[in-house]
Amino acid sequence: MGYGGARRLADSRLCKDFKGFELGETVTIVGDHDPALMKYFDCTRSSHRSAFDGNVVYQFEIMEYILDYGFERMGADGSQVDHPILITECVCNPVQSRSKLAELLFEGYGVPSVAFGVDAVFSYKYNQQLGVCDKDGLAICSGLNTSHIIPFVNGEPVFEACCRTNIGGYHVTDYLKQLLSLKYPNHMSNITWEKVEDLKMEHCYVALDYASEVRLFQKGAKEAEEKNRCWQLPWIPPPAEEPPSEEEIARKAAIKEKQGQRLREMAAAKRSSRITELENELQGLEFLLHQLENVQENDVPSFLSETGYISKLEIESAVVRVTQSLKKAKREQVEIEEKMDPSMTEKYTLINIPDNMLSPEQLKEKRKQLFIKTTSEGRQRAKQKRFEEELDRERQNELDEKKRLENPELYLEQLHAKHRELSEKFEQRKRLKVNGTHTNESHNSSGGVGRGERLNAAQKERMRLLTTAAFDRGKGEDTFGTRDEDWQLYKLMSKDIDDDDEGQDEDEAELARVTSRLQDIDPTFVAKSEIGPFQTIVEIPRFRPLTKEDFQIILGVERFRCPEILFQPNMIGIDQAGMDEMAGISIRRLPLKGNSVEERITNSILMTGGSCLFPGMGERLEAGIRKIRPFESPIRVVRASDPVLDAWRGAAAFAAAVPFSEQIFSRQDYYEKGEDWLRRYNLRQMIAITGAFHFSQISLGQEREPMAGLTFARGLALLYGHSSKSCAYDSPNKMVIRKKFKLRDIKIRTVFRVELSLVEFGQAQLCFSLARTLL
Amino acid sequence: MEAEVIKANILLPTHLSFKRMQMSDKYPKGYARGRHWKHLKQILQAENYQNFPPTDPNYVNIESPPSMYPSKKFCDITGFEAPYVDPRTTLRYANANVFKSIRSFPNEHVQRYLSLRNAAVVLK
Repeated sequence: MGYGGARRLADSRLCKDFKGFELGETVTIVGDHDPALMKYFDCTRSSHRSAFDGNVVYQFEIMEYILDYGFERMGADGSQVDHPILITECVCNPVQSRSKLAELLFEGYGVPSVAFGVDAVFSYKYNQQLGVCDKDGLAICSGLNTSHIIPFVNGEPVFEACCRTNIGGYHVTDYLKQLLSLKYPNHMSNITWEKVEDLKMEHCYVALDYASEVRLFQKGAKEAEEKNRCWQLPWIPPPAEEPPSEEEIARKAAIKEKQGQRLREMAAAKRSSRITELENELQGLEFLLHQLENVQENDVPSFLSETGYISKLEIESAVVRVTQSLKKAKREQVEIEEKMDPSMTEKYTLINIPDNMLSPEQLKEKRKQLFIKTTSEGRQRAKQKRFEEELDRERQNELDEKKRLENPELYLEQLHAKHRELSEKFEQRKRLKVNGTHTNESHNSSGGVGRGERLNAAQKERMRLLTTAAFDRGKGEDTFGTRDEDWQLYKLMSKDIDDDDEGQDEDEAELARVTSRLQDIDPTFVAKSEIGPFQTIVEIPRFRPLTKEDFQIILGVERFRCPEILFQPNMIGIDQAGMDEMAGISIRRLPLKGNSVEERITNSILMTGGSCLFPGMGERLEAGIRKIRPFESPIRVVRASDPVLDAWRGAAAFAAAVPFSEQIFSRQDYYEKGEDWLRRYNLRQMIAITGAFHFSQISLGQEREPMAGLTFARGLALLYGHSSKSCAYDSPNKMVIRKKFKLRDIKIRTVFRVELSLVEFGQAQLCFSLARTLL
Repeated sequence: MEAEVIKANILLPTHLSFKRMQMSDKYPKGYARGRHWKHLKQILQAENYQNFPPTDPNYVNIESPPSMYPSKKFCDITGFEAPYVDPRTTLRYANANVFKSIRSFPNEHVQRYLSLRNAAVVLK
C-alpha cells in the first residue's frame, strides 16, 4: 500500500485526526488543515491530535482514523481490504506498537498480509537504485521528532550500530517560535506554529561554522545586515491628519471667541442678578433695623422671632456681611482683615469675660469662640509665612539673576555641578530602591535578601525586628496584635512603608527645578535621565505614534541559530550528541570492521528526511565528519533525490518487487504464531529491489510521466495480489488510457480501467491509482 | 456541507464498507472513550528489554550517548558567544547592553528563556 508516504506525512504531523463540529454533528477530519476550510468547523472543543509519541505509534484510535482515510481515499470497497500492506515504521519499533498495529489491520480491516520495514532503509535503497549512493554507506535520516544514523554494509542495514537522537524538525520549529515570541511579545498572536514552520522552511539555513557566523553578526558587519530577513506584519497607518488650513484656523478661532463671549455674558448676567439680590437683602435688613429702633426693648424677641433673627447683633452682622459681598460683587477692593476685626471682637466678646461670671451656655459659647479665634489666627500666621517665603524666593531669584549676569560661565558651571550631584544621588537611591524591591520579589516572602546584596540601615533594622519577633514568642500562643506597641512594630516591619519617599520627593523637586533652569539658560544642555517610572524594554512607549517598524519581525541570528540545535542539542538542554558526532559513534559501533569498510561507508553518506532540507547542511556534515575521520579519508555527502517522500518511494518499489510476497506476515501466521513472532521478524531487503527496477527505467524512457509515478502505480497494482501487473497513467487527474508494455522477463497484462483520485496530504500531492485488472 | 469542504476531501465518512466494525460502534458516542493508551515510556517499560541479549538493537539501545565535547555557551537572548553569566538569574549574556536588558526583564520572561535551555526552575 502506498502508505509509506502517508506514514511519513503522519510523522510530520500533517496527517492529523481532528474532530470538528459542524451543523451539530461531529465530524472527523484527517489531513493537513487548510485554514480557509477550517473556518467551517467549530474547533473549540477539540484540537488536532497525532497518533505518535516521539516516532512510535501509540494512539491506535487515531491511527485507525488515518487508516480509514487512507483506504477510503484509495477506493477500497467490498467487505474487507484485500491487499497486502507494507507499513513503514521507525528503527527498532517496540514490539507492542508493532503488534497492536498488526492486530488493527488483521482484525479491523481483514487484510491478508502485512509487512513492516524501516523508512530510512527504504529511502536508502531507493537512492541506491538511482545510483546516488553505494552498497555500503551511511544513511542520515532527520525526521520530525528524531534523527537516525544507520550504516549499511553490503546493502544491509546494521541495526546494532544504529544511532538515534531525539531532536528533529519539531524541535527546531519550537525553538524558533519561542525565540520570536520572547523577542516580540506584542506580536505573539501572529507568531503561530504554522507560520513559524513556513518561516523555518523558507529562511533557515545551517551555518558552516556557528561561532564565526555569530561573530559576524556581533560585529555588525555589512554582510550580517544583508543576511537579516524582515517580516512585515500587516499594518495600516493611522489616517494622517493634515495641518488645518487657514480657514479652519480662522473658523475655530471665531467659534472660540463666540463661546468666550457667551460665557462672559452669562457670568455678567449672573453677577448682576446676584448684586440685585444682595441689594434687596440689604434693604430689607436696614428696614428691619430701622424698625427695631422703633420697637421697644421688651418686644424685641417676639418681633424678631417673626423675621428669623434672634438678636440685634445678628442682624447687624448680617448687614455687614451682605454689604461686603455686595462690594465684592461690584469688584471693589475690600480689606477683609480690617472688616473682620470689628466683627471678630464682637464675636469674641465672651472671651475676655472671666469664667465665673458666665452662665453654662455662655461658657460653651466662649469655648467655641476661643476655638474659632485660635484657628483663624493660625490661618493668618500660615498666610504670613507663605508670603514671607514668597518674598524670600523672589529675593533669591534676583540674586541668582544678578550672579548670572555678572558671570555667566561660572554660574553655568555651578549649576551643572549641582545638577550632576542631584541626579547621581537620585539615581543611586532609585537603584537601591529598585534592587531592594527586586530582591524582595524574587526571593521568598519573608524578605530574605540574596548573597551579594548589602542591606541599608532601614532594611537591617527590619530584619532584626523580624527575627526577634519571630523567635520571641515560643509559648505556643501568638499574642502579637493585642498590644498597641505591636502595631508600631508591625508598621516598621512592613515592606510597603518606605520612608525614603519623602526625602526623595524633595530631591526630585530640586532636581526638576535645576534641570528646567539649565534648559532655559543653556542651549546645549540635555536632560540626562528622565524622572519617571522605571521603564522596561518590553513596553512600547505610548507617547509616540506607532510606525511601520514596530510591526516588523526581524530574523537575523535566529536564521541559523535554530537549525544549529540539530548539531548541538545542548543548546536546547537535550544531553545527546549532535548529528556529526553521531556519525562517528555509529561507525565506532560497527561490529565487524576491516576491509576498509569505514572508508567505503563515509564515501557515500546519504541525507534523507524532511529536516535535512536546510541549505548548508551537506557542507556542515561533511566538515563535521572530516573532523572525526583520519586525514584524507574520502567523504562524500549527498542528498536524497526527494528527502521528504523517498521513504514512500522506496517502500513502493520494494512492494513492487517480486519476492515481496515471500516476505510478509500473513494472517495465517498471525493466528498461529501470535504477536511475539514479530519480534524476530526482519525484512530482508537485499535481493528485492534490484531486479524490479531495471525494467521500469527502460520502459519509461519514452514515457512522459515521472518514474516515481509509475512505481506508485505499480506498487499499488501489486496489492491486488497479482504478481506482475502494470498500469500507467497519463497525468494526474485524468483518466488513463489503456497501454500495453512488453518487456524482457515479466509479462504485463493490459490494464483495463484505472481511476485516479487525488488526495491532498499536506504539502505533497500523491496520486493513488487503483488498478482493476483482468486476470 | 459546503462545496469547498467536500472537494477538499478532508472529511471522513461515517460508514466504511471495508471495516468489520465501524468506529461509531466501537466507540459509541457519549461514552468516555477508552483513551488509556500507553505512552512511549510505559511501552518501553513493558518491553522488558533486559530479558534479551544486550547486543540486540532495541529502541533503548540505539539512543545516542551524551556529547563528548564540552558544550559551547551561547547567549540566551541574542545567540552570540556568552562568556558571562548573570548571578541572579543564571542567564548567559554576551555584553553589557544585553545585561542591562536582562536586568529589566520580568520574572516570567526570565523563566521562559531558561526553559528554552531546560534550565528553568520547575516547582512541582
